[in-house]
Amino acid sequence: MASKSGNATALTVLSPIVNGIVDGKSFADITRERSLRIPIHEKSPLAKVPNTYLARLFILDNVFYESLPGSDSVFNFSEITSILSDSARKKALPRKDQLKSKYLVFSSNFYGDLDEYLTGMWEKWSYDDNGQQRDVRYIWEHCVAFEGVSDATSFIRYIKRCQLDATLFFNGSTDDSLQEQLKALYLKQEFSKFAAAHQGKSAADVQQAFKAFIARVQPENLSQPSWQPGQSTP
Amino acid sequence: MSNIAGKAYAMNVITPMRWYKVWLNRLIFWAALKAPNVLNGLLTLSLIHYARWVIIPRDKFPRLDPSQPKEELEYSYMMFFSNFNGSWAQYVDSFTFAIPSGLDLFWKMNVRYPKSVPLTPFHDYIQHNQIDTSHYYTAYPMAASNDVKSAKNVKKALIDFNAASSNKSPDEFLEDYNKLLNQLQHDFGEMRPTPIVSLAAQAVKERYMETQAGNR
Repeated sequence: MASKSGNATALTVLSPIVNGIVDGKSFADITRERSLRIPIHEKSPLAKVPNTYLARLFILDNVFYESLPGSDSVFNFSEITSILSDSARKKALPRKDQLKSKYLVFSSNFYGDLDEYLTGMWEKWSYDDNGQQRDVRYIWEHCVAFEGVSDATSFIRYIKRCQLDATLFFNGSTDDSLQEQLKALYLKQEFSKFAAAHQGKSAADVQQAFKAFIARVQPENLSQPSWQPGQSTP
Repeated sequence: MSNIAGKAYAMNVITPMRWYKVWLNRLIFWAALKAPNVLNGLLTLSLIHYARWVIIPRDKFPRLDPSQPKEELEYSYMMFFSNFNGSWAQYVDSFTFAIPSGLDLFWKMNVRYPKSVPLTPFHDYIQHNQIDTSHYYTAYPMAASNDVKSAKNVKKALIDFNAASSNKSPDEFLEDYNKLLNQLQHDFGEMRPTPIVSLAAQAVKERYMETQAGNR
């Protein structure tokens, strides 16, 4: 499956938003505003969803009309016919497409199995929205047929109906678990500091300090000490 | 709106292609997957965390209920999602300069794709078809993709060195320790905002602080 690269998975979800207006606002705009208000970095609900490397939300309002000059074919037959005819020239213009629904797009890059990940989204996604606690239903609330979602199983079923398979997934990073990645980053940070701080010291001093360093950073203990998901300060 | 989370930038691009060319584009991507040397060019662009292309045939936009109007589209669509470090211009330019032919191969079937060279029409094409992100999250805002990869090297080397050096005399230890530092010199480096990650990331942070303070 093209949505996997080793243990890394690419999840692409297009959830149609109900066409409708309440209090002068479309459901798509309400969903957009809610997405925009989600806290960032360590306070993002995605920091609580296990094994999320990078993820995003946005609204696909419509597709674009290709009004810019350009050519998409090796040999474009219409370029020949349109020299002689105005109507052929007009017909050579790209067609106009309009989406009939707006879509909430969720794209995530994560470690591991899809069902496990979606269960994590259902159970762990929570954040503070100016004093109100929000769960994952708050973002998807106005999507078509989401009213049938009531537990992790129905959430997984729903998201899979909205899922699109990646044609090509490129992993330019690693496919280790997030805990493994975060521990490695923590060690890189700490060991870089250690190396700089112990330059030019005696062999005995460096050896002793290194032992204390290893005892402190516990390289093989993935849970702690480590970086936290979404941690925005070193 | 925030296309930026710390050192990462989220790019979303959606472009039309003629429906009868979808199979050809799929074939190109399939061939790229089967012949990994095609993707080697992408690997040289070490600023990418993860990227993906998703082709949506014109009749395959998710329709979940009969009450949802059925899409009637002339074109099928290709969505491109990328997570990278650095600025928009650095990224787009690096594609043009590093893998112009591969890039053209992937987008060739798309309507009015101007080719990746020269640069200005390609910039215009991406800008024209790009959608801003509402919420963007990265698990490691302070780390670039190269940091994640180099951290993996550091962790492994540190564990191996610790196991091998535990019973050595101080002088032998120091000799091996210096070798370790030499071996890892390309992987070291502290990850900091120093003093800000970028003007754009700082703007995101300030806007966010304003919304949290209820000043908006």
